[in-house]
Amino acid sequence: MSSALHPLERKILSVLAPLSSAPFEVIVSAASLNEDQVRRALQWLSSKELVTIGNTVERKLEVEKEPPELELVRKVSESTGLLTLEDLKGAFASPEEFSAALGRARGSGWVRVGGETVPAVWIGDPEGPKTLRSLLASLKEGRPEGELSPDQASLLPDLLRRGIVRRVENRTTRVAITDEGRRASAADAGGEFIDRLTTEALTTGSWKKKKLRPIDVEAKAPRFYPGRRHPVRDFIREVREAYISMGFTELEGGSVYPAFWNFDALFIPQDHPGREMQDTFYLAGLSDKGLERKGLVANVAATHEDGWKTGSRGWGYSWRIDEARRLVLRTHNTVLTVKALSESKERETRVFAVSKVYRNENLDYKHLAEFHHMDGIMVGKGLNVRHLMGFLTEFYKKLGMTDVKLWPTYFPYTEPSLQVMGYSRAFKSWIELGGSGVFRPEVTVPLGVRVPVLAWGPGIERLMLMRYGLDDMRALYGSDLSWLRNRRELAGS
Amino acid sequence: MPVVRIEFPRFSKMVGEDRRKIVDRLPYIGLDIEGVGKDFVRVEYSPNRPDLGTDFGVARAMRGLLGKDVGLPVFRTKPSGVRMNVDRRLSSVRPYIACCVASGLELDDEDIRQVISLQEDLHNGLGRRRKRVAIGLHDMDAISPPLYYRGVPASFEFVPLGAKEPSSIASILAGTREGRAYGSTLVGRKTFPVIYDSKGTVLSFPPIVNGNATKVTTKTKHLFVDVTSTDLAAGDDALAVMATTLAEAGGNLKTVLVKYESGARATPDLTPIGVPLDLDLVRSVLGLDLSRKEILRALAKSRMGVRGGKALGPRYRVDLLHRVDITEEVALGYGVDRIAPVYPPSGQPGTFNPFEEFLDAVSTVMAGEGMVELMTYELVDEKSLYSAFQRPSSDKVAVQDPKSLDHSLLRDSIIPSLMAALTGNAKSDYPQRVYEVGRTYSRSESGVAESWHLGCLVAHSQSSFTEAKMYLEALCRLVSEREIVTPAGDHWAFAQGRCAGIRVGEKELGFVGELKPEAVEAFGMGVPVSGFELDLSALYELLK
Repeated sequence: MSSALHPLERKILSVLAPLSSAPFEVIVSAASLNEDQVRRALQWLSSKELVTIGNTVERKLEVEKEPPELELVRKVSESTGLLTLEDLKGAFASPEEFSAALGRARGSGWVRVGGETVPAVWIGDPEGPKTLRSLLASLKEGRPEGELSPDQASLLPDLLRRGIVRRVENRTTRVAITDEGRRASAADAGGEFIDRLTTEALTTGSWKKKKLRPIDVEAKAPRFYPGRRHPVRDFIREVREAYISMGFTELEGGSVYPAFWNFDALFIPQDHPGREMQDTFYLAGLSDKGLERKGLVANVAATHEDGWKTGSRGWGYSWRIDEARRLVLRTHNTVLTVKALSESKERETRVFAVSKVYRNENLDYKHLAEFHHMDGIMVGKGLNVRHLMGFLTEFYKKLGMTDVKLWPTYFPYTEPSLQVMGYSRAFKSWIELGGSGVFRPEVTVPLGVRVPVLAWGPGIERLMLMRYGLDDMRALYGSDLSWLRNRRELAGS
Repeated sequence: MPVVRIEFPRFSKMVGEDRRKIVDRLPYIGLDIEGVGKDFVRVEYSPNRPDLGTDFGVARAMRGLLGKDVGLPVFRTKPSGVRMNVDRRLSSVRPYIACCVASGLELDDEDIRQVISLQEDLHNGLGRRRKRVAIGLHDMDAISPPLYYRGVPASFEFVPLGAKEPSSIASILAGTREGRAYGSTLVGRKTFPVIYDSKGTVLSFPPIVNGNATKVTTKTKHLFVDVTSTDLAAGDDALAVMATTLAEAGGNLKTVLVKYESGARATPDLTPIGVPLDLDLVRSVLGLDLSRKEILRALAKSRMGVRGGKALGPRYRVDLLHRVDITEEVALGYGVDRIAPVYPPSGQPGTFNPFEEFLDAVSTVMAGEGMVELMTYELVDEKSLYSAFQRPSSDKVAVQDPKSLDHSLLRDSIIPSLMAALTGNAKSDYPQRVYEVGRTYSRSESGVAESWHLGCLVAHSQSSFTEAKMYLEALCRLVSEREIVTPAGDHWAFAQGRCAGIRVGEKELGFVGELKPEAVEAFGMGVPVSGFELDLSALYELLK
C-alpha cells in the first residue's frame, strides 16, 4: 500500500482531524461523499492504521404503535354526543381489532357499555389508562428498561407479546483518527503541495515553492486500446517479405475473371465437379462476351478436346465457349500467375500474389467462403521437382514452419503434384498446408511457354490458426473487437 | 474427395505387412489419412485414380510400392457368350453400354461394402453424378441372356430395387429420391433406357435405379456389370476400374458382346494404356540422374511395365494422358521422401507491387490514428447492404446459388460491413474506432468493376462529423500530395446536412458524415456513429 493519500482518504481525514471521532453517517455528509466511497476509503485508512473503527451496539425499547384499547378510550372521550357501538366499530380497521380493544377497555373498567334503545359506549374510569400512558411516554423519550417504575414494568410483558413494544438493537459505527492519521493529514494538507503542474505554475515559477502532492502510483490507470492492424494483414506482410527476400515480384489483380482463366487455362475440364455452382461462385447473369475461340483461347480449347500440339490425349469432349465466358470469383490465385505467364515474355521469372480466393461453402470451423492464398510460380530452364521442394522448404522456414515434408497428390494442372505437410507443435500433428507441382504441358504449351514452371498455391489461414492457437477459422474474420484489441503482439513467432 | 476404408487385419493379409508400416507408407501413394480408428483407417483418394477406390485397389498399389508384387498387372478375359443388343432409339438419350461378367466370386459383407462404395464414387466422379456414367451390379444367376438395352415409354412398369410392387418410369422419376436426384437428363423425353433379359426381367433403369429381381447378396457367385454412358470412353474407363477390382476380389472376368446396329464390340477391353517412355523428360522434371534401369524399377513398383519405347499402365489408369504423367509414377516408385530438396537462389532482388504497398501504408496510418483494423467478407447479405439503409438494390451484384444467404451479394461499399461488425461488438468498451481496407464491386458496362475502398467508423456517445473528418484529413495529409475538399453532399449512408463528398479536384473519391439515424437504429446500435468511405483505387490513380 502506498503512503500517498488517495483523494477520498484525504477528504475523510480532513473531516476527522478537528472532531477526533465521528459516526459514519456524519462523515458521509460532512465529506459530501457516498456511503460506498466512505466505506472503501475507511478500509484503506484503517489498514494503514490512520483511523480506528469502532462499532457500538445500543439496546432499547421502541413503541411500534398505539395500543388499540387506548385508541378506543381516546375516541370515546373525544366524542361529543351519543357514541353507538356500531359507529365505534366502523372507526376500527377490522371487527376483530375492535372487539379485542373493547374487551380490554371494558374489562379494565375504562369504558362502560349500555343504552336504552341502541348499545352505546361511555367513559368509565378516566384515570384508568394513566400507567399505560406514562409507560409509553417514557419509552418514547428513550428511558432505559432498568429505570422504569415497577407499575410501568409490569405492563411490559403483555405489550411486548402483542408487538406494541419491540426490543431493538442500534448498531453505530464510530471512526476515530489516530495520531498517525493526524500526522498524515497534516503532512498532506498545507500550502507546500500542488495537485498538478500547470502552465501557470510553470510561467510564474510558483512550482518552486511547492511540491507535487504524491499520488497512489500503484492504482490501475483507465483501460486504453491502441489502434492496430489486422493480424491477417500483418501475416500477409510477413509472407510478402519472405517472397521478396527470395527474389519474387509481386502481382496484383482483380477477383472476377471469366471461367476461362480460372479453369480452362489450367486444363480443368468443363464438366469437372469443382467447376459446379455448389463449389464456385458464378456472378448471376454476367459473362465475358468478348472472349472468342481464337488465338490462345483456341489453343486451350483444342488442348482440352484432343491434346492439340501438347502431346496429350486431351479430355476428349467438345469444349464450349459459353462455359468459358461465365464470370467467376476466382477459386484460386493460380489465375493471377497463369495470366502473368501468358502476358510476360520473360522466360526466367519468379512472381507471387497473396490475396483472397472464393468458394461457395457453408461456413464452419474449417471452411470459409473467402480466404487467402499465397500463390507463386518460378519459371526457368532447368528447374525441376527438387527445386520446388527446395523452395517450399526454405519458404516455410521463413514463415516459422521448420518441420515440412512433401507428399504426392493430384491436381489437374500439375505433374508431378506435391502436397506440403507441416508439423504443428500446437496441435501435435501434421497439417495440410497446400498444393504445389510442375505445370503440365497442357497448361504451358498453349500459353507459348516451353520452359518448366514450378507452381504452388497454399493458404495462409491454417498457418495463422497454428500461430494463434485457434481451432476455428471463422475467428480470424469474426471482427471480435475483444480479441483484436487484446491479442498478443508477435504471438507464436 | 472420395474416401476408402481400410480395415485391419483384413488389409494386412492383403498386403502382407503390419499396420504401422502400412499407415506410414499410405501417403506415399498419394492417399491422405483422414481418420484413424481402432481397427481401421479412412483415407482420401483423388478422383483421377478411381482404381484406389477399394481396399483391393489400394493393396494392389501398396504391394507394388513395397516391392512385394511389381510390374504391370495382367487381367485375362474369356468370352461369356452373353450378348447385349442395343436399341438405336437410345442414341440421343444414353447411347452407350459396356458390360462384363465376373464369376467364381465369394464375397463377404466387407467385400460387398467396398465394391458398392467404389460404385458410388465412380458415379460421383467419373460419372459426373451419374449424368455421364452409371453402373449397375446384378446377380448373373437371376438373368437369362440374351439381354436388351432398349428405349421404352414413360408408362413402362417394373419392380425397382427394394420394392415389392411394380412402378412406372414416370412415377419413379417424379416420386422417388433417385428419380429426382438423377433424372435431370431424362426430363421431357419420350423414350427411356431400360435393360432387360430374354424373359423380360428388368435389370436396370439407368441411371436411376436397378430392378429388384437381379439384386446382389452375399450368396451371389456370378456378377453381371452394366455401365451405361453418354461418353463411350468414360463408360469404358468406369467398366475397366470395376472389372479389374472384381478380378482383385477373386472374380474370373468374362466379356460380353455388345451389339449396336453399326457393329459389335466385346467389353471390357483391358488392353494396357501406353504413353511414350521419355527418359530424359523424367530425369529433367525430377532433377534426378537416374539410369534406365532405375527408372524401369521405379515404374515396376508403380505397377507399370515397358514395351517398345512405351510405358504401359493397366487399363484402370485413366489418369495417364501425357508422357509427363510417368514422371510421378517414377517419383512414387523411387520414393518421394528419397528426393533431396535443392533451393535455387535468386539472381535478382524481388519487388513489391506499388499498389499493394499503398494499401499497406494506408492501413498503417489508420492504425496510427488509433483505429482497429477489421477484415470482413466481401460477400454480404441484402439486409445490411440495402434495406438497413433504405436504398434500392436494383444495381446489386449477386452470385448464383450461394450456400448461405448471408454471403449472397458482392458489396459496393464497406460501411455496411463495418456497421454489421460494430453491431456484434455492443458489449465491448466504447469508444469503438474501426477501419477496413477492402475490395468493393459495382456494375459496369463490361460487367462488374472492382475497386479498393477504405471504410472507417467511429462509434461512441460523442462521435461527430468533425471527428470523422479529422481522421480523414489526417490520413490524406500523410498519403496524398493532393489536398482534399469536402463540399456538402448527399449519400445513402449519412444524415442530411451532416454529409460531405470527398473530392480531389473534380474527382469524387468518397463521402464523410454522420450515419443517418434510421441506419443506426436498423443495426440496433445504441450510440451515434460517424465515418467515411474513400475510394483508394481512384486516389491511387490520381497520385500516379
